[in-house]
Amino acid sequence: MTPPVLELDHVTKTYPGDPPLEVLHAVNLAIEEGELVAVVGPSGSGKSTLLSIMGTLDRPTSGTVRVTGIDIAGLEDRQLSALRATRIGFVFQQFFLSEHESVLDNVAEGLLYAGVPRWERQQRAAEALDRVGLGHRTQHRPTKISGGERQRVAIARALAGRPAIVLADEPTGNLDSSSGAAIVAMLEELNDDGATIVVITHDHDVAACFPRRIEILDGSIVGER
Amino acid sequence: MSAEVLMPARLRFGDMARVASVGVRTRRVRAALSALGIAIGVAAMVAVLGLSASSQAGLLAEIDKLGTNLLTVANGTTVLGRNQELPLAAPAMIRRVAPVTAVADTGRVDVNAYRSPLIPSIHTNALDVQAAALNLLPTVGTTVAEGRWLNAATATKPVCVLGAAAAQRLGIDLVLPGERIWIEHRWFYVVGILEPAVLVPQIDASILVGYPAAATYLSFDGHPTEIYVRSVTDQTAAVHDVLGATANPAHPDGVKVSKPSDALVARAQAKGALTGLFLGLGAVALLVGGVGVANIMVISVLERRSEIGLRRALGATKGQIRAQFLSEAVLLSVAGGATGVGLGVAATAVYASTKHWAIAVPTLAWAGGLGAALAIGAVAGLLPALRAARLSPTDALRTV
Repeated sequence: MTPPVLELDHVTKTYPGDPPLEVLHAVNLAIEEGELVAVVGPSGSGKSTLLSIMGTLDRPTSGTVRVTGIDIAGLEDRQLSALRATRIGFVFQQFFLSEHESVLDNVAEGLLYAGVPRWERQQRAAEALDRVGLGHRTQHRPTKISGGERQRVAIARALAGRPAIVLADEPTGNLDSSSGAAIVAMLEELNDDGATIVVITHDHDVAACFPRRIEILDGSIVGER
Repeated sequence: MSAEVLMPARLRFGDMARVASVGVRTRRVRAALSALGIAIGVAAMVAVLGLSASSQAGLLAEIDKLGTNLLTVANGTTVLGRNQELPLAAPAMIRRVAPVTAVADTGRVDVNAYRSPLIPSIHTNALDVQAAALNLLPTVGTTVAEGRWLNAATATKPVCVLGAAAAQRLGIDLVLPGERIWIEHRWFYVVGILEPAVLVPQIDASILVGYPAAATYLSFDGHPTEIYVRSVTDQTAAVHDVLGATANPAHPDGVKVSKPSDALVARAQAKGALTGLFLGLGAVALLVGGVGVANIMVISVLERRSEIGLRRALGATKGQIRAQFLSEAVLLSVAGGATGVGLGVAATAVYASTKHWAIAVPTLAWAGGLGAALAIGAVAGLLPALRAARLSPTDALRTV
């Protein structure tokens, strides 16, 4: 049996200070391959910390995180980087696109650290842009396209490496409602194609569109539907 | 899948270069200005070294043109400190040495020369009056600038030719008919002015008269004080060794033999010592340029936190982030260094060509300039690169 794509086991996170601040309390969570999940909670509930730990950008204070079955506690920083390069894709609220490079180069940058040669990066970037419906905009600068299109570019960048899981942090946060709805629809479509996607949001209306919803409050999972 | 397969991919050279040039490409003006500091420092150093080498090359070429086969024989002093006169027969004896091709002598006459009898006798202008052999000019390598040189007839008459400096000090720059100067209670007519004699500058401050005239009018005893000897170039050293004994067999140690071109070469090389100061100034400029690059890199790392965070999320290792910022600093600095070498060489070329020197830029200058730029870039980029790599991905991403 294949292990879950992402598994959190009694994960806590404490930020040092006086007094120390525990922002996650023994979180248990498993995401299976092919799932489309929303993690929903108000601001300050520990969503962002949870995303950092799920994305191996940060390590838990205690508990176990497994990505595609690999326990990250035993990995050094170099190996974690390689794990992110090959198995995790990120989508951020602020897009983080380079204004000085074309849409295609921005997407291709997502494959840079996986050791893919340049021509193949470009080719796979073009395919990813096709999947998000921006095949005709490859040579545009990110400044010349709309916010919704920018987020689709960022999604293409996350997908280009065919990661085991895509983590999206408030992907609709900087968009108006119709662009946001389009992004949600696109994520559903990509999920139908087989991508495993976790969306973190504070917006219950957005979360309502997803088949599985995990509600988080004050650092604990309070409900799941 | 197991953890063992998780090895970060190495960036290919082309990818590394692209990543390193992101900052340069996206902030061109800033990059150009910070590279300019390095460029100015390197240009100053290259130009200083290039100019000094070119002027040296020019001087040496001139010395070569004048010939390095000239030897000077002069009277020295006895062990008791008295003047040791050269024998009257010295020039003739030297002429018999096989590799010697030309011999010309001058004899210092112990009198002073004045513009007119009205000049107080204390105003001697540090001029020498010398009796000169008729073949002096080709032997020492100079020519007549104005008028004529002495000939067999004028050598017997109260007629003189002025060295370049002597003419200047007497205020005579043209040879007009009837031009004359006052030597030992008698008018001597000026028939010519010489070009500067680079190899034997003592000729320049002299007033030259013929040997017979010096004997007749200035009661000169006929003993030569300086004998100029040209020989076959590759035999010059051998001739040098025998000249003392040949010129004065009775007292060979009372004869001073020298090679004027050696002194000039030494002086040409010593001139290089003055460039040390300018080189130091160039180094200071380079250092300031390095501080500029470091400054820009520190700011760059602060501004590009979100880029660093994104790259870490995309899978860049700490080492790759460090390498990116370090090579960006080196790129900036080396680009500045290359521009500086170009500017320095151009400055050298322009100046050297106006002076008709050969353009010489020592390897040390351009290779050293590039090397210094590289080293400064590496040092300047080290701290910012380490800071960029140390940044935690979550902190980097949190900043907007």
